[in-house]
Amino acid sequence: MNKATREQAGGLPEQDRLAALEAANQRHIAYIRDKTNHLLKIMGTSPLGYDELDDQTLIDLDPIGIIADSFTQILDFLNKNVNELQQAKDEMQAIFDATGVGISIIDRDFKVQRCNEKQRQLLVDSRRREIVGHNCFEIYCARESPGMGCPAMETFATGKPALVRDVEKKGKFFNVVTTPFARDEDGTVTRVIEVALDISDKKRAELAEQQQRQFYLQEKNKLATVIESLSEGLLVIDPDGLVTTCNRAAGEITGHSESDITGVPLTRLFPAISDLLAAGEEPAGAEFSYQAPDGKELLFSADSNRMLDPQGNFVGRVITFRDITAEKKKAQLFFRAEKLAAIGHLSAGVAHELNTPLASILGYARLLLKDDNLTLAQQERLEIIAEQTQRSSEIIKGLLSFARNSSHSDRVREECEVNSIIERAVLLLNTDLEKREIDLELALQPLPPVIADPGELEQVIINLMLNGMQAIGHRGRIEVQTEHREPWVVLTVADNGPGVPEEIRTRIFDPFYSTKPVGEGTGLGLSICAGIIDDLGGSIEVNTPLRGGGATMVVALPRG
Amino acid sequence: MSANPTPEILEINVIGQVCPACLLVVLKELNQRRPEINSGRLRLVISTDHRNATITVPESARKMGYQVDVIKVNKYYQIVVGQPK
Repeated sequence: MNKATREQAGGLPEQDRLAALEAANQRHIAYIRDKTNHLLKIMGTSPLGYDELDDQTLIDLDPIGIIADSFTQILDFLNKNVNELQQAKDEMQAIFDATGVGISIIDRDFKVQRCNEKQRQLLVDSRRREIVGHNCFEIYCARESPGMGCPAMETFATGKPALVRDVEKKGKFFNVVTTPFARDEDGTVTRVIEVALDISDKKRAELAEQQQRQFYLQEKNKLATVIESLSEGLLVIDPDGLVTTCNRAAGEITGHSESDITGVPLTRLFPAISDLLAAGEEPAGAEFSYQAPDGKELLFSADSNRMLDPQGNFVGRVITFRDITAEKKKAQLFFRAEKLAAIGHLSAGVAHELNTPLASILGYARLLLKDDNLTLAQQERLEIIAEQTQRSSEIIKGLLSFARNSSHSDRVREECEVNSIIERAVLLLNTDLEKREIDLELALQPLPPVIADPGELEQVIINLMLNGMQAIGHRGRIEVQTEHREPWVVLTVADNGPGVPEEIRTRIFDPFYSTKPVGEGTGLGLSICAGIIDDLGGSIEVNTPLRGGGATMVVALPRG
Repeated sequence: MSANPTPEILEINVIGQVCPACLLVVLKELNQRRPEINSGRLRLVISTDHRNATITVPESARKMGYQVDVIKVNKYYQIVVGQPK
C-alpha cells in the first residue's frame, strides 16, 4: 500500500483530523445552542448570546437538561391541574344530573348543547334518545321554530334573564327560566342556561286551595241567601256585645236600616235581651217590648245561641227574633172570643133558669102591692122587692142578649147603611141626651154599605153612645163621625168624659168588666159590641186623645 | 401539605446578569431544590436588576405551580418563589 493509498485508507493527516473534529464540535455546539434557544423561546425568553455563555460554560450548565427538568415540573403541575379539573368536572356533572331542576344549555341556533337527566324526564318525550345537537323548540315544545313565549329567544334578544310561568307539559306544570351563560366579544349572548322548575305539586295545591276557596265561597253565598231569605230577624253579636252582621229582615222588623244596626251594642238595640244575657240566661222565646223608630210599641220574641269556634272558644252569639205584636193581638182576640162564647153559654143557661122564678117573684110582688091591707112599711118593702126583681130581669135580659150574640142564633146578614142606623139610634137617645144636657155632633160622610145585622149594628151604636153619655154624666159633648177609608168603614164615637186609663184599656171589652159603681152597669155593653164587631171581621179600639181628655171608640168594619 | 412556619431562604443574586442566563440559573435551582420548596422548607429569593427577568422567571415558576411574588427593592427586584398554593 503506498502513502497516498495509506492516507486515503487510514484517514486524514493528524492536523486535518483535529480540524475535522473541531468542525464537528462546532456543529454540535451550534446544534445545542440552537435547541437551547428553541427551548428558551418556548419558555418565553430571549436566545442565548455567545457573550453570555461560552461553549464550555454552555456544556457545563446543561441548559437542555435544566429546561427538560423544568418541563417535567410544568408537566407534573399540568397533570395535577388536569386531574383536579377532571374531578371538578365529574362533580359538576354529578350535581348537574342530581339537581331537582331540569337544566339545559342552548346556543344561539337554539341547539341543545347539554341537557341533564331531570330535563329529559320533565320535558322530553321518553321515546326520543338524542337530545344534544337538536333544536330545543323541536324537543321541548314540539314546534318547527322558536315561537312567542320562548324564554331562550327573549334572553338572546335582550341579554337579560327571562321567565315563563305555568308551562304545561307531559301533564305537569313548570316555570322556565333562561339566563345568559356565555357572551362573545361584543357582549352578545351566545349561549343560555335554561332551567325548568317542576311546580306541579305547588300548582295542584293552588288548584285545591282555589277549589276549596270556591267551595267555601259558594257555601258562604248559600248561607247568606238562607240568612237573607229568613223572615225572622237575625243578628250576629261579637264577644263584646256589638252587632257585627244582620239580615234584611232584622232591618225591616226593627225599622232601622241594616247599616244602622251594624256596630250597635246589643244593650242599646235590645236592652231586655242584653239584661237576660248579662244575668247568665240564654233567652229562648223571650218576649220583650220594643219601641220602633216611629214610636210604635211592638212585641218581639227572641232566641239566642252561643257561637263557638272549632276549638270550642266563645266567639259570639246569634240572636233570632220576630215581631209577635199582631200574633199576640190575634191570640188575645181568640182568647176573648173563646171566653165570650163560654160566658154566653153559661149566661143563656143561668138566664133561662132565673127568668121564670124572677117573673113569679115580680108577679107576686105586684099582686101583693094591690092588697089594701098592707102597712106602709110592708108596701115600701114590696116596692123594693118589685124594683130589684125588675132590675134583675134587666140583667137577665142583658145576659140573654150577650148569649144570643155568642150563639149567633137568629142573626141576619144584609147590606146596612151605617149612617141611617146612626140617625135612628140618635132618635132613641135624644131624650136622654137632652136630660143630661149633652151636645151631640154628627159628622157623617157618604159611606159604602156594610154586610151586617142592622139590629146588631144599632145595638153597637147605642151601646157606644150610652157608654159615652154615662162616662160624661151631666153636661158634655159627644161627637159621632163616619168616614170611608178603603176598605174600611170607620165609625168614631168620642166623648169628653174622664177617658179610659191606660191600664184598663185591654180589659174594657171583657164581659162583666165595668168601671161603674156596683149595681149601675152589667159590664156587658162593650163586650157585646166587641163580639158583634169581631163577627163582622172588624175591629174596635179605644183611644184617649193626648190633650183634652175623653175617650174615643174607633170601630172599623169591612165594606160590603 | 402544611406550610413550614419558618422556611429557609436561599438567596440567588443574579444582579448584572441578563436573560436567559438569569432564567437558567433560577430554573436549575428550582429543579434541584424542588422537594424542599414543594414541602415549604425552602424559599428562593432571587435578586435581579434585569427587568425582563421579572417577567420570564415568575411566568416559568408559576407554570410549575409555585407561588411567586415580585418585590421592588431600591434599584433592583426581588423575586420570591415559594411553596405551591
